[in-house]
Amino acid sequence: MAGNSGGSFGDIILHHVTNDPSHIYFPIHILGMDLSITKHVILLWVVAAVTIFMATWGTRRYRKNPSATPKGLSHLYEILMNFIRDDIVKNNIGKKDGKFWVPLITTYFIFILTANILGLIPLFEFIPGGSNTVTGNFAVTVALASITFFAIIVAGTMKHGFFQYWKNMVPPNIPFPVLFILIPIEIMGMFIRPVALTLRLGANMTAGHIGMVAIFGLPIILNMFGVGVVSVMLNIGIYFLEIIVSLVQAYVFTLLSAVFIGMAIHPEH
Amino acid sequence: MEGLAFFGAAFGAGLAVIGAGLGIGKIFASAAEATARQPEAANEIRSTVNLPLFLLEGVTIIALVVCILAVVL
Repeated sequence: MAGNSGGSFGDIILHHVTNDPSHIYFPIHILGMDLSITKHVILLWVVAAVTIFMATWGTRRYRKNPSATPKGLSHLYEILMNFIRDDIVKNNIGKKDGKFWVPLITTYFIFILTANILGLIPLFEFIPGGSNTVTGNFAVTVALASITFFAIIVAGTMKHGFFQYWKNMVPPNIPFPVLFILIPIEIMGMFIRPVALTLRLGANMTAGHIGMVAIFGLPIILNMFGVGVVSVMLNIGIYFLEIIVSLVQAYVFTLLSAVFIGMAIHPEH
Repeated sequence: MEGLAFFGAAFGAGLAVIGAGLGIGKIFASAAEATARQPEAANEIRSTVNLPLFLLEGVTIIALVVCILAVVL
């Protein structure tokens, strides 16, 4: 986008939707890796703090009495846990095997949802250093998807044992020459799944913001300030669409992780 | 020559969106038909529809990202 005739505007858009590498709060370099504290690192801590605080506050009644009636924030957590356990985990992993994976799947959902919603709060835009959608940063989504990648392998290994899990990758009783095609495809599929998870979440969260900034830039590009009224009205609509996208993407990431873990636990026969 | 790259990227993005639109339309048309024929299976149909829909969406987004990369790189 940068470098063509509209280069300066492309740069403005990119600045608003990515982590600005030039604005570093505290530089850290370990073993040649750049682990500097940027805006997204700080926002990740904010997301972690909000998630931990709300979860401990919302479930404090159940620690004293496991069968307490829900009240206030615990209603939300009761609905959320029921939804994830019954609709996502039980349907895709299974009742018995799923019990172990409910905490991981729930953490995915709450973390991604909190990060997505945090990216929609315009107030955080005033902190210097780029966009405020943590999940729009591909480094974050790569980290989340690699957790899924290892969870798939761990799930299969726990259920079937190490060697049986790798044997389960191809269906039994197929002609020998087919293996030469099937094994590379299965190995590719193993890596494509987390890549698809990464791109889906990151691109969806970034795309909405690119669209919003581009529409806000219309009056500047066209040099007609009356267009600003239209672009604000359009962006209000897109903002509500973004709320739906945040919810759907959190659900999609969670559901697909559960489906992939379930596929490792229940191989095809 | 650079203009050709932009044209290719925009054209590819359009093609990807056409394919995704057709696919999503087909999925939901069949889902609506199935629900109308058998309303008591609505929940099951909905959960069956979700997974191919999201996989389709993922493929489309990968195609769009490749188109963007053709412009940026």
